[in-house]
Parts: sequence; structure tokens; C-alpha cells
Amino acid sequence: MSARCPLLAVLVATFFLAACDQPKVASYRVPKEKDPEMPAATGASATSPADAAPGVGAAGPDMASTPVTTAAGPGLTWTAPSHWKPKAGSAMRKGSYAIAGEGETEADLSITAFPGNVGGELANLNRWRGQLQLPPVTEAEFSSATGHLDVNGLHVTTVDITGTGANPQRILGVMIPHGDATWFFKLLGPDTLLAREKPAFMAFLETVKPAP
Amino acid sequence: MNNTVRQVRDFFVSLKLTVVLLALGILLIFAGTLAQVNLGIWAVQKQFFQSFIAIWHIGKLYVPIPGGYLVGGLLLINLIAAHIYRFQLTWKKAGIQLTHLGVILLLVGELLSGLWQETYTMRIVEGQTANYSEHERDFELAVVDTTDAKFDDVVAIPESLLADGRTVQHPKLPFRVVTKLHYPNAALARRTGQSSAPVVQNLATAGIGTQLETTSLPLTYKENERNIPAAFVELIGTGGSLGTWLVSPDLGAPQSFSHDGRTWKLALRQTRAYKPFAITLREVRHDVYPGTDIPKNFSSRVRLTTLDGSDDRDVLIYMNNPMRHGGYTFYQHQMDAGHRTTVLQAVRNPSWAIPYLACALMTLGLLWQFCFHLFGFVGKRHKLRPAAA
Repeated sequence: MSARCPLLAVLVATFFLAACDQPKVASYRVPKEKDPEMPAATGASATSPADAAPGVGAAGPDMASTPVTTAAGPGLTWTAPSHWKPKAGSAMRKGSYAIAGEGETEADLSITAFPGNVGGELANLNRWRGQLQLPPVTEAEFSSATGHLDVNGLHVTTVDITGTGANPQRILGVMIPHGDATWFFKLLGPDTLLAREKPAFMAFLETVKPAP
Repeated sequence: MNNTVRQVRDFFVSLKLTVVLLALGILLIFAGTLAQVNLGIWAVQKQFFQSFIAIWHIGKLYVPIPGGYLVGGLLLINLIAAHIYRFQLTWKKAGIQLTHLGVILLLVGELLSGLWQETYTMRIVEGQTANYSEHERDFELAVVDTTDAKFDDVVAIPESLLADGRTVQHPKLPFRVVTKLHYPNAALARRTGQSSAPVVQNLATAGIGTQLETTSLPLTYKENERNIPAAFVELIGTGGSLGTWLVSPDLGAPQSFSHDGRTWKLALRQTRAYKPFAITLREVRHDVYPGTDIPKNFSSRVRLTTLDGSDDRDVLIYMNNPMRHGGYTFYQHQMDAGHRTTVLQAVRNPSWAIPYLACALMTLGLLWQFCFHLFGFVGKRHKLRPAAA
């Protein structure tokens, strides 16, 4: 058996070498690209796309359980200001508007609804904060980070958050539990444009009411 | 032939070795299957099947057992050695030779798949174009010179080098990258000073990391969870330290800084693989059966464009109908139709054809062997019949 040991050692070493995949530093040039939007820290495992439906993680549910269904059931109605341009929304958007700013800047209002509480208001606030690369807030900070309105019998949670940097992005967001669903109104755009549009957005919220 | 060589030869051509290795293979599969409950499939593959020694946890016991590479490797040597030693070029043995060749190819194919297969994902929003895919579980520290108006110069440092605590000095970087602390899995939160979890020392002196708390978390092996690494990296130029940054994929976006009149970005992100082609997502569809939430169809209509202009076509990718291009297969992986986002899984396996060839050879070999014996048997019966009459 003595001869087998060195031979085995050689064989094992060969396979070790074959399995070796030494990591190397790579360098390359790529065309200029926009930084991908990703969420900010909320946990070890959750990674949801910035644009994802609330509660959907990239490493999370597979397609069979992806909650892409919009909420059925009772709806909401609203009246948008005339200078907001209705957009051809996707199948999942209940409403979609473009608001033009100076130059080529534009803000986007998306109105979506999903069944249930979609993870809760704190998780959704932190999801939006993540989109602006802001750190998440804790439950204790939630009440100071949000506002509340009662509009036409609806309990409305409002969010106004601004990112950092030279030309920060801002989100004016609203979460409305209605029926068995939660409705999200998210106005996303440059801070300067949203500062101008905030009065119109607040007036717009006053027009939101349960569908007859 | 001297005695030692004969002993070695007898050891490797031995049928007993085959039986022992097959038994060890069964044990390995049994242990790996049980371990999958706690570790998930990718960790089991790595720890049990793509390793030389696997550690099997039985209660509080840690039992080392031969891993897939060791069992498979020895089985491969055993098969090849026996094949050569007992090889006889006769029609009678041709079936056995072919079957064994098939088994050898199957083992080689599995080894090459383990070594060469790449599995990446591509996340694309409707209307957008992607020219890179991202590794699902590997990360890299990207140090990007964004000064040029048209191009970004990227230096990508694998996370494993950060984990080793190595100092990276690259010719394209005017500074050294020194890892001060690395956590394979960590959670970030805004600094409150009231966290109940054990917070690691914050070494960040620049960037958003100065406002954050980092909590080290145990490694997770669950299929639906990912480890999110974090590291404190210091950049040291010729004039001294530029600062220490906290980097983590959880930060969401790169951190910018200027040095010597150039603008840089720093991000720990999923390892990227840039492609010589681009995929534009034209439309995502998620159809359900009428009146229910039960999914009926997930599909992505994409436009594939190669940089050299050799290919430009629309492709519909849906379940069991992947797109193939340039050695990659793109599967419909995940979808967020509500936000017009699709996730394609891009798989590249240069050895994909080997298992098919192996199975074909084994089928042919077994058929040959069976038919050879059948015809021999029938022939013998024919010869016996007149004699009996």
C-alpha cells in the first residue's frame, strides 16, 4: 500500500489544481452607463429592484409566486391637473402621468394598487428611500418621517423624501389602504421640479376618493 | 514490471475499488440530500459535490466524508484504468466498451460543468438595454474612472480578494486599495447608537458609510436568501490616505469622489460580465387564467443586437423557450410585470453537449450488448432445435 499513498496524493493534487480558479483583478472600458438603481439596506437577504412591486425581491419569490396582480375590488378616482400629461400606462399601473419641467427634466407619477398591505408602510417607505439611496428609517422614526391626511374618508400616509447630491431626486409618495388593497401614488422627479409641483400634488390628493 | 507498479495497477483496476466508490457515492448523495434541508441546493453542491472532502453534520458530530471531486475523480481513474487494462477489441466486448466510455464521458462532463459553467442574471426594465449580466452570488469592488464623457474605465476587484485582506495595486489606479475589514454578510442601517444587535466598528471616514451602522450577520445558505457582503476599504494615494469607505451592495448606488482632477466611483456590486451584444427589453407579459391569479404565461420580448452588427433580431423568451446566442442560453427567470422588469438567467456551459453524447454512447453500448447476446441466444436455439427433433 505504501506506493499508493504518493500516487493518491498526486492525483488529489491534480484535481485540486484543476479546481483552482484564482480570482483576478480585471480592468476594462465600457460605454458610459447610468448607475443602476438598487434599494438601500433593509436586511441580509432582501434585494428588491428599485422599480419592483412592493415586497418582491430579486432573490426572493420565483415567478410562480410573484405578486404582480393588481388589486381588484373597490377602486379610487381622482382628477389630475390639466398640465399633467396622461401616459400610456402598463397593465399594472392604474394611472400614469408625466409632468414636464425645465429643459428635458420630467417627473413621473405612477398610481398602483396591490392586494394586502404589501409588507407594511415602513417597508414601503424604506423601499422608496432606497430608491433615493437614503438609509432606511426605523419604526420609531417612521411617524416623524411621514405625514397623515384624511381625504374623502380615506386615511392617507404621505411621504416627502429628497435624495442627496448636486441635483437630487425627490419622491412625493402616498400610501392609501382601501378595501383589501393598498394604493400607491408615487411622484418621482428632480427636487426643483417637485418643489414647484408639490402644491398641485397636494391639491390633486384632495380629489382622490373611493370610486362610486 | 516491478512489484510496486503492479500493486498500484491492481489497486486502480480493481472492481472492489469500483464497488467501494459507488457505495461512497451513495453515501455522499444521501448526506447531501439531508444537508439540503438546512443548507439549500447551491451550498450543498459546493460543499458536498464540488469539493474533495465534505463535512457531514450528524447531530453534534462532524463526520468528514469524501466529496464529489474525490469520489468522481477516483471513479474516473478506476474506470479508465480498468478500461485500458481489460480492453479487448472484439465484437463481443464492444457494447461494454461503449457503455464504459459513456460513463467516463459523463463523469468528465460533470467535472467540466462544475469548473466551467457560468450562471448569471440580467435584469432589464422595459425599454432599456443591457449589455452585461450579473453573477447571482459573487461580488466585486468596482473602482470606476468616470472622468471621460463617453467611457467609464473599470477596475473590478473580486470580493474574495477583499476577504483575504489583500492590498490591491493596479496599474490603472493612482491609489492602492486596502481592505481594513470585510464581512461576508452584513446589514446596514442608519446610525442611531441604540441598536440592540452587535454593531461592528465603523471605520468609514468618507462617503455615506459615516452615517451608517454595520451589523455582521451569520452566513446564510438558504435558497431564497443571499449573503450581502460589506467592507471598509481605504484608498491610499502617493500623498497619503484618501479616506476609508464603507462599501456594500446594500448601499444601492456607487459613491463618488475626486482625486487628482479625475472623478471616481466606488461600489461593491454583483460581479458583472459584459457581453459583445446587447439585449433591449421590448415587452414583458404576465398573463393569468381569466378570473384567477394563477399564472398562465411569463414572457419577455427582447431585441438582440450584436456589436459587430452580425445579428439584430427580435426574440420571444418564455418558459421552456430560451434564447440562445454566443454560447449563452437566456432563460425567463423572474419577472415583475407590474414594474415592467424582467430577469433573464444567462447560462454558459461549454461542456453542455458531453452528457448528451455520454448518454447516447451508453444507450448504444447497452443496445449492442443486449442485441449481441439476444442474437447469440436465438442462434444457439436454432442450432439445438434440429438436434432435438
